[in-house]
Amino acid sequence: MRPLDPRLLRHARAARGYVALTASLGILTAALVVAQALLLAHALGRAVHDGADLEAIGPLVAWLAVVVALRALATAAQERFAHRAATRAVAELREGVVAHAAALGPRWLATGEGPGVATLATRGLDALEPYFVRYLPQLVLAATVTPATLLVILGLDWVSAAILVAVLPLVPIFMWLVGRLTQGRSEQGLATMRRLGAQTLDLLAGLPTLRAFGRERGPAARVQALGDAHRRATMGTLRIAFLSGMVLELLTTLSVALVAVGIGLRLVEGDLDLVTGLAVLVLAPEVFNPLRQVGAQFHASSDGVAAAEQAFAVLETPVTADGTRPAPDLAGVTVRLRGVTVTTAAGRTPDGLDLDVRPGRVVALAGPTGGGKSTTVEVVLGLLVPDEGTVELVAPAGPIPLADVERAGYWSQVAWLPQRPVLEPGSVQEVVGGADDAARARAAALTGLDAVLADLPDGWQTAVGHLSVGQRQRVALTRALLSPAPLVVLDEPTAHLDAAGERVVLDTVRALRAGGRTVLLVAHRASLLAAADEVVMVAPVRTEALR
Amino acid sequence: MTPPPRGTLRRAVALLEVDRRRAVQAVVLGTLALGCAVALAAVAAWLIARASQMPPVLTLSVATVAVRAFGIGRGVLRYCERLVSHDVALRGMTTLRTTLYSRLASGQPGAVLGVRRGDLLARVGADVDAVGDVVVRGLLPGAVAAVLGVATVAAMSLIWLPAGLALAGCLLLAGVVAPTLAAAGARTTQARATDGRARATASALGILDDAGPLAVAGRTATELEALRAADREVAAATDAGAPTAALAAGIGQVAVGLAVLAALLTGVPAVVSGQLSAVGLAVVVLTPLAAFEATSLLPAAAVQVRRSRAAAARILALLDAAGPSAAPRPAGAAGRAHLTARDLDCGWPGAPRVVRDLDLDVSPGRAIAVVGPSGTGKTTLLLTLAGLLPRRGGELELDGTDVEDLARPADAVVHVAEDGHVFGTSVLENLRVARGDVTPDEATQALADVGLDAWLAAQPDGLETLLGPDGRTLSGGERRRLLLARGLLSPAPLLLVDEPAEHLDPATADAVVRSLLTRYRHRGVVVVTHRLSPLADADEVVRLDGGRVAARGTHADLVERVARYREDLAEESREDA
Repeated sequence: MRPLDPRLLRHARAARGYVALTASLGILTAALVVAQALLLAHALGRAVHDGADLEAIGPLVAWLAVVVALRALATAAQERFAHRAATRAVAELREGVVAHAAALGPRWLATGEGPGVATLATRGLDALEPYFVRYLPQLVLAATVTPATLLVILGLDWVSAAILVAVLPLVPIFMWLVGRLTQGRSEQGLATMRRLGAQTLDLLAGLPTLRAFGRERGPAARVQALGDAHRRATMGTLRIAFLSGMVLELLTTLSVALVAVGIGLRLVEGDLDLVTGLAVLVLAPEVFNPLRQVGAQFHASSDGVAAAEQAFAVLETPVTADGTRPAPDLAGVTVRLRGVTVTTAAGRTPDGLDLDVRPGRVVALAGPTGGGKSTTVEVVLGLLVPDEGTVELVAPAGPIPLADVERAGYWSQVAWLPQRPVLEPGSVQEVVGGADDAARARAAALTGLDAVLADLPDGWQTAVGHLSVGQRQRVALTRALLSPAPLVVLDEPTAHLDAAGERVVLDTVRALRAGGRTVLLVAHRASLLAAADEVVMVAPVRTEALR
Repeated sequence: MTPPPRGTLRRAVALLEVDRRRAVQAVVLGTLALGCAVALAAVAAWLIARASQMPPVLTLSVATVAVRAFGIGRGVLRYCERLVSHDVALRGMTTLRTTLYSRLASGQPGAVLGVRRGDLLARVGADVDAVGDVVVRGLLPGAVAAVLGVATVAAMSLIWLPAGLALAGCLLLAGVVAPTLAAAGARTTQARATDGRARATASALGILDDAGPLAVAGRTATELEALRAADREVAAATDAGAPTAALAAGIGQVAVGLAVLAALLTGVPAVVSGQLSAVGLAVVVLTPLAAFEATSLLPAAAVQVRRSRAAAARILALLDAAGPSAAPRPAGAAGRAHLTARDLDCGWPGAPRVVRDLDLDVSPGRAIAVVGPSGTGKTTLLLTLAGLLPRRGGELELDGTDVEDLARPADAVVHVAEDGHVFGTSVLENLRVARGDVTPDEATQALADVGLDAWLAAQPDGLETLLGPDGRTLSGGERRRLLLARGLLSPAPLLLVDEPAEHLDPATADAVVRSLLTRYRHRGVVVVTHRLSPLADADEVVRLDGGRVAARGTHADLVERVARYREDLAEESREDA
């Protein structure tokens, strides 16, 4: 990322005002730095050289006090709004990334960079705070204070300005050179550090296992050895990483020293007056100060910059556009898949699948684990666009490609039970829904939820969050039963259930069919397959077979 | 959130066992490095003021050399200081990690089982780093600022006492008041933001984990609104802490100016009255401009100390949970290995008991199966039998000795956990966790016993194949069987196996359970399983329901007597057909 990426301003509105404020404060600070140096030089020069008393330099000192106060105010204002802007910009990016990633769909989230989004959204983006609070202001100061002070010095004493101008370009050149020379080594070092760190954590994570075998004592020496190796690798990297800092400090401090010596020698010759000499002496370190701070904050901010890069990459991944045609009433619609193939690392799962989910029928998807049954469900739900083949809603008025249908309208007619039920917070009664107590009680009796609730002191008012996975599954089943959605999709509803739980699912499926609902279910067990009107085998072509 | 008790950080830093000699070296180098900058400013001021009086050039030669030397010294000394201080911190972190490992390895078993749960493990790694960071970013900068401050004030006071005293006051303002305020601001923000942050994290993870279901249920917008609300709360918390942080930054800046102004105001009349030389005035006025570099790092140091203290509290809590190292006790006679449970109650510490009043006899030659619906406490029972969880009631003895008095119950009882750890090393080394001297032949045989012979043949490097961290390169069924093979290779006479058959197709699952019950019966076996078909080979089947023994007997016995068992078995065979 460039030092200040325009994408940051585009995606985080909170950053815009802040950058403007920082820039104004930067210009103000530059003016104040120059004013402070000149006032100080005049006051001190007259006192030292002419023996002026306090009364004579009084106005200068008073103005100096004003400048000091203003600088303190500018610094405070910067700090005050830096934290605010950082928190808000991080929040904006987080919300943007989460919303966009969710819109990209479960398949994108499960593959490639998808799994990293969770870390990015929860912890990664927080690293932008040092970037906003420390790095960005110094970057602005490097663009305001450095040229301003340099120009003033040029006006006062061109020889000193020449020394500083000669050194100034050396700073980035040397930084770049050291960076180039060290990059390979430090990347190698970082990789070693990560590996050693992971091995130590591996031993800690395996401690319960080691204990179960009574072999927990030996690896303490290994933890120590890994730590020592980690330290040596880190120090190897740091020895090189700190070099760039040393070069920076050496160049800047040495050039200030050279300026001071040069002024001293010309003062002796009488080529320069004391006030000018003092002003240049006070200003010279200010030329480099922002640059040094940028260098010092660079590492702290680089994690945040990397996180922002990742965030932009997510935000710029195109999302499949929503359809425009209103969804037909699913009660009279056949969902038709023809030649549907989804290609993943595991192979073509499914491979050329034909499927008709006709209204009022119970269709079961069977086949080996990892063969693409859940993928097929995602295709039917419109969460995943297949790599090959077509998905259509065949309504009486004619077929419509699913991609052209408004998704919200389609989804509002679907009740989906994923393998792990996702329930909103609330009481069981609120979550389950249903027209009245009688309907709820009938549904609960069928799904076995009544037995679960009988054991709970709060009954229907129990918070869903307090239930176990098996109990939540029954809540979700009950809700599917009570929902008016014409299409019900059940993904392995008998996983995690014992034989009794399975009977409950069978009863629910039968009740759904009796209610004229369309059911698409993913099933392993024979009993469930037997309850279906049709069974469709989802056959994959695995990667090894493709080779 | 209550603040950690006083002395938390001191206790944790003591655990780093920082090498004093190196720490002193780092402080000295750091003081000299920043001292070079202060000396550069002072000598340059002297040089210019003196030069303006046009003395012979030779009188300035020492100063011109000194200025250049200080210019070089600063960068070089700072480089050395950074290396030494990081070395100190890294050594400390290694010591702390080793201590943490050893204490968890030898302390209360419950503490270590907890580590696997949630993100605690990642946090332990980050927390150790945070405690180490306090050395580099908190304590050493503080010490450097203190030493350098005292030295600068002393030098200034020698030239002009009032200026030295004013500098001392301003250094205290910048080095004590400003950092205290900065830490207070951070505390305010953190105290108010903790809830919001946790909810923002939970919301974000929830939306990402369940993107599909939420979208289909039409709830994505609601969940995003919850995330925004949580973020707004964090923003409000930041706003609450920001004024204090701003005040701290302003004070840090104003202190420099005050020191300069004070030197001017007291120094100029002194020059007029002849108490101070004109050159001395230039030195006392200009030196403060460079004297605040050390204190400017302290607000950040104070915030780091706060952060590290929170990390230290979590590490100490983990160490305290592990308790003191268990004193070595005489091991029971491992030969007979008769494990008896009477009225045994099991449960996680602090949670309700999930298993009650269980009687069980395990000894070499007996194979026992434990069955029952999920969530009825079978896993907790096995952990308790293995001595890995403290029992909650009743008796548990190995050859007549209380299991909790045994130094190493693992010598007699080995537990094959569902979530056993696969180390990021070779297949063979993973099996050698059970016993250090497992030969490749024994390893191959054990893998064949659990039906992994075909899998092994397909591996590119055979037994030397590297397994990814936590076995991510293995499928669920392969992983489970590798863990079982490891259990089989352990020398312990009793084997406790948790769900060896999950993630396997019925035929393989039954073969694995059956081989355990028959071929390893001489070891004494307790197996928790959801498969009933292979249990004809068990000496006893215990059916748990609701945490109590619902039925027990031989397989045939249960089929005859217990309707529920018969139904489940029939259901299972229908499924397999």
